[in-house]
Amino acid sequence: MLAVTTKKLTKRFGRIVALNELDLNIKEGEIYGLIGPNGSGKTTAIKILCGLLRQTYGSISVLGKNTLSKEVLNKIGYMPQETAIYLDNTVHENLQFFGEIYGMSKEHLERREQEMLKFVDLLDWRNALVSTLSGGMKHRVSLACALIHEPHLIFLDEPTVGVDPELRDTFWKYFRKLIENGVTVVITTHYMDEANNCSRVGFLRQGKLIAEGEPGVLQKSAGAKSLEDTFLVLSRGKKA
Amino acid sequence: MNLRRTFAFTRRALLQFRHDRRTLAFVLMMPLLMILIFGYTFGGDVTNVKVTVVNNDEGLPAGASPLLPDGIKLAEHITNSLNDETLAIEHSANIVKSKQRVDKGEIWAVIYYPKNFTENFFQSLSNASGSFNSSVEIYLDGSNPTISSAIMKTVNQAVMETLGELSDDINVTSTELPISFNTTYAYGGSDVEFIDYFAPGVISFAIMMVTTMITIILFVNERRTGTLQRLLASPANEAEIVIGYALAFAVIGICQSIVILVAAMLIFNITIIGNVFLALLVVMLLAVGHQGLGILLSAWAKNELQAVQFIPLIIFPSVLLAGLFWPVESIPKFLQPLSYFIPLRYGIDASRSVMLRGWGVGEIWVDLVILIAFAALTLTGSMLLLKRRK
Repeated sequence: MLAVTTKKLTKRFGRIVALNELDLNIKEGEIYGLIGPNGSGKTTAIKILCGLLRQTYGSISVLGKNTLSKEVLNKIGYMPQETAIYLDNTVHENLQFFGEIYGMSKEHLERREQEMLKFVDLLDWRNALVSTLSGGMKHRVSLACALIHEPHLIFLDEPTVGVDPELRDTFWKYFRKLIENGVTVVITTHYMDEANNCSRVGFLRQGKLIAEGEPGVLQKSAGAKSLEDTFLVLSRGKKA
Repeated sequence: MNLRRTFAFTRRALLQFRHDRRTLAFVLMMPLLMILIFGYTFGGDVTNVKVTVVNNDEGLPAGASPLLPDGIKLAEHITNSLNDETLAIEHSANIVKSKQRVDKGEIWAVIYYPKNFTENFFQSLSNASGSFNSSVEIYLDGSNPTISSAIMKTVNQAVMETLGELSDDINVTSTELPISFNTTYAYGGSDVEFIDYFAPGVISFAIMMVTTMITIILFVNERRTGTLQRLLASPANEAEIVIGYALAFAVIGICQSIVILVAAMLIFNITIIGNVFLALLVVMLLAVGHQGLGILLSAWAKNELQAVQFIPLIIFPSVLLAGLFWPVESIPKFLQPLSYFIPLRYGIDASRSVMLRGWGVGEIWVDLVILIAFAALTLTGSMLLLKRRK
């Protein structure tokens, strides 16, 4: 079953075409990577799929629904590029707040908070003010806030930007654990080496999908040494 | 000290303004705005104070006195001598209705001359008893000490001026002349001090300033840090976000008011004769409205520095034109209509009326309706501004 589909999804900002007739089919339970350089339309696509932007034309379907009703939004998690948590609140207060806006019961929230703190390894930091935490810890709190309500589908917009290699590796371990639990993960990144961790990737260039498939298969078919080379080969091919 | 390095700092700071036109405009225009507002409003004389004169004085019958001119009506003389810049005078024959207008806050005072005002004056002179039988009766709304003293000063001056003119004819000094003032108060009294008048205004002002500024900074941060995006991608809708924050600021507003009220009562011994809870309702409405205004303004600020630029733009006009320090009547006439567009005016007006006049909802409903409309307008605007899927 498909978690996300888009048909001819197009977004224009004035004369700039951010997305150009994008067709996506993201399966349930996979890590799908939207890969591309800065300005290729990755964030725009995610924002439309989360309901933060309205498309110029084209259609979307998220978790089988064409409109982003409250019911659908309740099953979606979103982690923006920025840390996007409240620095003047504690880790616990942040998790509680985001749990409450997703309508979680007190008992469910308490149980889930413990799970999340354990998941991101911040059990000892529950009552710490977020502003006192390191950059890496803030990123982990941000991920925990996006997952607190047990979403079926999570959009992660460049979650590893500005994150050190060790934490990036930890994050990918978290993401793999998520799909083991049946969560669909849609992730954007411009780090090509990270794309190897995805079940499938879609290469975006100037708002267009230039290739889609399993990373290994794409690399093999392009005859490239790395995924970065694969992107460059495919990108030039399209250009030609 | 290396001058080249020093000048490098100077140059960099000045060049920054070239790229931030808005800040440049702010830096140049703000002092101009401030001198204009302060220059026009600071310490101006009170003008245009609405009073009603009820003149029942029948004057002196012809030939009754060798000292005074035939048919003289002293009250008319005094009224004509009243400074018509300070007082906006209306005339009425009905003392009861005129007093009711003071009670309703439509006018500040009634100046009343009884039927035998001139006759009593003449008899006092003839008897040379020294008893002061001629009395100017003043029925005053004493809730605003600045206005009360302006009225009393103006009436006193007019009496002195009239007596000064007469003293040549009757050959006595004006200080000996038998006219007294009988002042009764609709609200307040001679014991109302400036702090009593000032405290309700300070409460409203503090709430306005804190709520507006904190909301602007809070929402600038929500946008800048990405939390707002996260909220808008959740099932929470714009109304829940805006009203949720509005309630928080209402609570903060009430706590601030309590702090100011308690301090004013304990330290300055201010007089509160009305229902404090009604005053708190007024303050709460003011806080909610300004929270909405803060969200709206946050859309025009990209960072905290730009948010701070709103302080003088909102605060100064509000402080100077809303009647916080000086009554609206002391602002130049051409600026007075502007005060109707400043919500703080209604907050101050309502809380003063409640605390100093003891008024209830029945009397301050116009202020309440305007504050509710202001809150509804800014909150609806905020919800539209936050509208997702643009």
